[in-house]
Amino acid sequence: MNTVVCMKQVPDTETLIKVNPEGTGIATEGIKWVMGPYDEFAVEEALQQKEKFKAGTVSIVSLGPDRAIEAIRTGLAMGADSAVHINDSAFYDKADPYATAAVLAAAVKNLEYDIVFLGKQAIDDDSGQVPAILAEMLGIPVITQVLKLEVEADKSKATVTREVEGGHAIIDVTLPAVLSAQKGLNEPRYASLPGIMKAKKKPVDVKTAADLGVDVGAMTVIKEMTLPPARQAGKIIEGETPEEKAANLAKALHEEAKLI
Amino acid sequence: MHGPESGIGREVFWNIVGPGFPVAQVLLYILVVITILLFFRGLAKGGFFTRLKMMSIATGTDVERLNNPLSRFWYAFAEVFGHRKILREPYQGVFHLFIFFGFLALAITTAIVFIQADFIAPIWHVWFWQDGFYLGLSLFADVFGLLAIIGILMALARRYLFRPNWLDHKSEDAYILWFILAILVTGFVIEGLRMQATELKAGDPMFTYVWYSPVGRIVAVLFAGMSDATLHGIHKVIWWVHVLGALCFIIYVAYSKLLHMFMTPLNIFLRPITDQPPIKVMPPEMFETAETFGVHNVEEYSWKDLFDGEGCMRCGRCVSVCPAFNTDKPLMPRDVVRDIRDYMENKAKIAIDADGTTKIIPDEEYTGPPLIGDTIDKDTIWACTTCMACVDICPAYVLQFPKLIELRRYMVMMESDFPAEVLDVFKGMENNSNPWSIGAHTRADWAKGIDVPLMSEKGEAEYLFYVGCAGAFDDLNKKVATSLVALFNAAGLDYAILGTEEGCCGDSAKKIGNEYLYQTLAMTNIEIFNGYNVKKIITICPHGFNTLKKDYKELGGDYEVYHYTEILDNLIKQGKITLTKPIEGLGTITLHDSCYLGRYNNVYEQPRNIINSLKSGNLVEMEDHHEKSFCCGAGGGRMWMEETLGSRINQKRTREVMDSGAKTVCTACPFCYTMLSDGIKELELDEQLQAFDIAELVFKAANLDEKAAEVIDAQPAVTPLEPEDAPAEEAAPSEPSVSETVEEEGKDAPAEEFAEAPVAGSGAEEAAAESVEEDVPAEEAPAEEEEKKE
Repeated sequence: MNTVVCMKQVPDTETLIKVNPEGTGIATEGIKWVMGPYDEFAVEEALQQKEKFKAGTVSIVSLGPDRAIEAIRTGLAMGADSAVHINDSAFYDKADPYATAAVLAAAVKNLEYDIVFLGKQAIDDDSGQVPAILAEMLGIPVITQVLKLEVEADKSKATVTREVEGGHAIIDVTLPAVLSAQKGLNEPRYASLPGIMKAKKKPVDVKTAADLGVDVGAMTVIKEMTLPPARQAGKIIEGETPEEKAANLAKALHEEAKLI
Repeated sequence: MHGPESGIGREVFWNIVGPGFPVAQVLLYILVVITILLFFRGLAKGGFFTRLKMMSIATGTDVERLNNPLSRFWYAFAEVFGHRKILREPYQGVFHLFIFFGFLALAITTAIVFIQADFIAPIWHVWFWQDGFYLGLSLFADVFGLLAIIGILMALARRYLFRPNWLDHKSEDAYILWFILAILVTGFVIEGLRMQATELKAGDPMFTYVWYSPVGRIVAVLFAGMSDATLHGIHKVIWWVHVLGALCFIIYVAYSKLLHMFMTPLNIFLRPITDQPPIKVMPPEMFETAETFGVHNVEEYSWKDLFDGEGCMRCGRCVSVCPAFNTDKPLMPRDVVRDIRDYMENKAKIAIDADGTTKIIPDEEYTGPPLIGDTIDKDTIWACTTCMACVDICPAYVLQFPKLIELRRYMVMMESDFPAEVLDVFKGMENNSNPWSIGAHTRADWAKGIDVPLMSEKGEAEYLFYVGCAGAFDDLNKKVATSLVALFNAAGLDYAILGTEEGCCGDSAKKIGNEYLYQTLAMTNIEIFNGYNVKKIITICPHGFNTLKKDYKELGGDYEVYHYTEILDNLIKQGKITLTKPIEGLGTITLHDSCYLGRYNNVYEQPRNIINSLKSGNLVEMEDHHEKSFCCGAGGGRMWMEETLGSRINQKRTREVMDSGAKTVCTACPFCYTMLSDGIKELELDEQLQAFDIAELVFKAANLDEKAAEVIDAQPAVTPLEPEDAPAEEAAPSEPSVSETVEEEGKDAPAEEFAEAPVAGSGAEEAAAESVEEDVPAEEAPAEEEEKKE
């Protein structure tokens, strides 16, 4: 069972997000970066499948600048065998989901795989498009929001449970396929110390887009990025008696909130 | 020559050795030689040498155990003969004292008689065991013999009548007590028989001195009226029973827990001379080179860890004080030590070859039961709060809980095997340097709007005020941080905080067993501290206090670290803080001693001094206080774990607070503060009991100018929580946005209403703070009102 996991390094969920001066993205200084939380499910599932089949490899492919190596090492520490780090300064800043998928597809094509795993979305730009575009470029099926995966012994087919609104759909899919991981698929492991130490010595292949023969560019451009407006403070309704408070509330709902 | 010349004394071997060749005496010599041989055979059969062999292949490093041998000797001597630790438990202490000194006295007496009868008399023909010396020795032996009997009876009463639940029962326990009792009783019986047959006859030179053998004299009453022949006959039989019994007893020492009479003093001699119970040091370079971490095979312990099993005689004191055991969790520190010993003995069967060579069995070849999960249950390993009560009370200087930390280290670092809820704690520490996983950029938010000097602005300060995660992130404990700031400002202390440059101290990570994470956090802090040339540090949290003060030394961080109670006590004494304002409603106050402040660092008096300098309330002690203080349940990383087994430790401690009759309980530790506050809420005791950190009370009582006093009003009463639709919530499905504690603290506040995204300069936080200002936690409300009045 060979799997490729496409993983993205994203800002930690608790980190302070600021828009860059150009207003076209977030300011990247002073941010704590981590592996995408959904990508963790993807890595974990790949490892569990490998363990179940007691054979095969797990390769990580990640597009990102120098710092992305930290997230790659986290994946290797969890147990992945090797990684391809697409580090192309001319590329990653401008890459939209299409360009990202193109460069990932080029890297994945060079690897052995029965399944290509991704998180269902990266939590920074939340586009959620890459799994589908990647599958299209690889010419294989895609199933998103996977909650459960059972692979046939001969690896020709898999039964996949995916989340749909208010329920589950169980789908048979021929392999190879692209699967994107939803929360609930598994509990990602905490890398053991020997895992962390071994990860430092595992092979990471650093490539540029040109190395992979990708010359497509972004088809979309971020025009402007803004933070959500600051939340208004709550208001405590004053009043001597409950009746008076109720009256004041009704008044506020009518006059200020214009709800009634 | 077997008796005194003066007639004041007695014949040795009376009725046993007759005139002519002393058959019985020679027989006795032979028996003694056999006994000594059987004793050593017993050591071998009892597994002692086997265990020593296993200790010889132990690979774990240990602290110095043989330095300063003379002072070690005198320390052990004083412990053994002074019974200092043993007497901390009065009942078992007293009976051990009686048995110990009873036996010692009888051994000395027997030795004197032996020297008299078998050396001095045959060689120099001198008889010194007579007259005043004889009478004194007789009285001495009788009195101490009686004490030993009383001691044994007390021990029997405890074992069979009182039956404390922490005492374990093995067959040897019963044998030993009845055995000793039989030897003592037969000794007095033969004395009584002899006296009835000799001294109690009118005209005997000893007739007027019989009460120098008081117990024998009384026992003799039983035999009054018996004929001489009967007395001689019974005496002869019981004499041999007594002597053979005593010899068998000596042999049994080698097989049983009685060996502790040699091993425990030795264990005390080998005690660690360190400033806290040593946990194996893992030098940073070890992470690069070592292949395994912590302990999962018994040989990975240090030889001394394994030797602890010899020093332990299962007295159970460690069990009786263990907060986990006392709340029905499957941890008995004694059993951890003994299980390791038994496991080692079992493993020796395959580890020691026929020719006696001992080898370490590689994991692949070992098929026996594992140490972790079988010999020592995982629930046992996780139940420990590292409160140190076991180590502190152990009269044998055994280190119980550090052995569990070694097992945790293996589980965490090698197997990633830990309670599920700990994952978020580790990730929080890794990514945001706090166990709550709150954004690291908000670490200084508690100080917003109040006058706190920042190290990065001030450049240098006499004291670094290390706030710690709880003071910085936990609402309950932010009040402690702000109170201290006001007091430090008022006292004119030259201090500064690190703000967002501060990081988690790592204590919880270390005690959970993640030494790698701990060292990462510690190194980061040390680098920052050294960058500001920090020499002195003040901490809020006793865990940070202990870690910065003692553990950081191992990593090259050497600082003068003070707990804030030490600083406040000093400032009050110097008159830099004056406590003039009465605090309404305090009533009777009790102090909960934090483990890491008290047992770990001996800071007992400073918090009490501070409470005593308040103008209101009066201090009472709980039943368990000072070194017997009962843990709140949060140490050893338990703060971050679910307490699913048994009852809750914090509730037990809260009930103990209630039992003291106090209306206010003071803490000086954020964990204790949280746990006891929760305990009060959980038990619905809000009406009867309130918890405060000492710093808060000092703040309320201090005569501060208005500006200094503003800090409490300036701080947000409730931390804005994560909004439901913020990216964080969606994005980190596996990470909780806030910890349980924070969530609980925020429960009363309409958190979601006022929540804000982690966005800079949004102003939402201030707005939120303003809007919920009224919503102070209930317990604080009366005091706040009080202040407003003034």
